[in-house]
Amino acid sequence: MTSQAIAEQPMANNSMQQKYSGKPILTMADVRGGYGDADILQGINMQVTEQEIVVIVGPNGAGKSTAMKAIFGLLKVRGGSIVVNGTEIAGWKPNRIVQHGVCYVPQVNNIFREMTIHENLEMGAFLRKGDIYESLERVYTLFPDLKERRNALAGNLSGGQRQMVAMGRALMLNPSLLLLDEPTAGLSPKYMEQIFEITRNLRNAGLSILLVEQHAKQALAFADKGYVLAAGNNRHEGTGQELLADREVAEMFLGG
Amino acid sequence: MPFMEFVNFYLMPGIVLGSIYALGAVGITLVFGILRFAHLAHGDLATFGAFTALGVVTIFGVSPWVALPVAMVVCASLAIGIDKLFYDYLSERPKIIVVMSSLGIALMLRAVVQVVWGVDTETYTRGIVRPDDYWGIRIRDREIYTIIAMFVIVGVLWAFLQKTRWGKAMRAMSDNPDLALLSGVDNRKITMLTWGIVGILCAASGFFLGINTELKPLMGWTMLLPMFAAAILGGVGRAEGAVIGGLIVGIVEETSVLFIPGEYKAALAFAILLLILLVRPTGLLKGKVL
Ligand SMILES: Nc1ncnc2c1ncn2[C@@H]1O[C@H](COP(=O)(O)OP(=O)(O)OP(=O)(O)O)[C@@H](O)[C@H]1O
Ligand SMILES: [Mg+2]
Repeated sequence: MTSQAIAEQPMANNSMQQKYSGKPILTMADVRGGYGDADILQGINMQVTEQEIVVIVGPNGAGKSTAMKAIFGLLKVRGGSIVVNGTEIAGWKPNRIVQHGVCYVPQVNNIFREMTIHENLEMGAFLRKGDIYESLERVYTLFPDLKERRNALAGNLSGGQRQMVAMGRALMLNPSLLLLDEPTAGLSPKYMEQIFEITRNLRNAGLSILLVEQHAKQALAFADKGYVLAAGNNRHEGTGQELLADREVAEMFLGG
Repeated sequence: MPFMEFVNFYLMPGIVLGSIYALGAVGITLVFGILRFAHLAHGDLATFGAFTALGVVTIFGVSPWVALPVAMVVCASLAIGIDKLFYDYLSERPKIIVVMSSLGIALMLRAVVQVVWGVDTETYTRGIVRPDDYWGIRIRDREIYTIIAMFVIVGVLWAFLQKTRWGKAMRAMSDNPDLALLSGVDNRKITMLTWGIVGILCAASGFFLGINTELKPLMGWTMLLPMFAAAILGGVGRAEGAVIGGLIVGIVEETSVLFIPGEYKAALAFAILLLILLVRPTGLLKGKVL
């Protein structure tokens, strides 16, 4: 089947018009939800297609992390639909979503501090019954620093290395979609570049990535697509370059 | 006082008592670490285990050592059942509600023991056992077995937690519950596994208290405070710490009679608890802050 034919296949549960080419991995349509009674997300629309890095930017409290938690079943979704790989997953429990090929690196508390690097990675592969050797080697190849210190407690590592452990853990299940919530927050420029580099390599290897970033300019520079969220709503969307070139976006959200 | 006298009359009994506390404290620390509440029915579950073993001994006429594994299985099932009926049902509520309900469970378990076995003092075997002499150390066989059994049981548990898939998942749940869920760990299974292990540990501590002293309906309840002191002293969530804490509390209690009247023995655990909370709230090995 040609890619043209794939693109023309009607997607199950997906009424959204397809704006970008490629097979959709994640489609969020009009997603509403929050922690208590009030809706933090007031109708979010987003799409990640195959082998794409999609970057979410927006001010503090915009609901970026909340959108990721909504995908991952960590808060009550009151309306809209979340389709991953052709299946509606809104309302699923996290462990079912993991099995469906989505892995998530939260913004905070994203490692097991009292466990070694190696054990953190093993926990990432908890759902895999078989041999995890290949996945381990793959993660250790991506993050050589981790291999050296595999028996060190994760809680004793530097910020950059912790972030690598967190990403490594999420990669152990070979997900088709990876959610990264501010993986470079608080890191030195050197580590930030390294994390971005690995993110691009993962995309080039076939993974789809949804990335929340405060370092918006750097991230949009290599993003295939970007969304600007504010106050629980979509504000802007476009390719990374389009958003960088947009005057309003630059003034309001990228610090001029 | 000659050194051997100290060893034989204070240190050895302290280690034996400490081993019994340690078995209970490890269970308390597991519940604290993984399920995040203070399990007040712990002592009475131990009482129930001790009396279950007694029941097996009297009905089948077997040795208490044969009855111990039976009591462990019964207690493990009971603990899992109690969780299903009560604690799990309350799991979305504030933790203090679960703690209070565990106090209710404690009273229920004690009532069952009193109804079934009466309120009299019982023993597994009759007759007086004199201690044997090993190079000047006077100790009874059952005391040796108590100490060995504690190290074996806790050792097996430790290996399970360090080396196996589900053991690591239990540690992960204790370390970062949200991330454990995100990694696909099933909360319910971990909870059941934890209660199974806690039941086994409770049965063991009750049994060894019973075989070294007597069986009374209040035997477990009076152990509750020392066991909590041991768990917190060792560092909440740390199994090795609970063993160290248990041994320290046991030895301090037994040697304290050298310095203060025996009636104050029970208050010592409380004093240790207060002291550790004031001086080092994370315990000797770094545990969770309460
Ligand atoms: N656990 C929670 N319970 C209740 N409200 C929350 C919770 N987490 C976040 N919020 C609220 O939801 C809103 C969106 O928060 P969110 O964490 O999604 O923002 P964000 O865009 O990720 O911001 P940041 O850049 O600071 O990470 C905020 O108003 C915040 O106060
Ligand atoms: Mg956030």
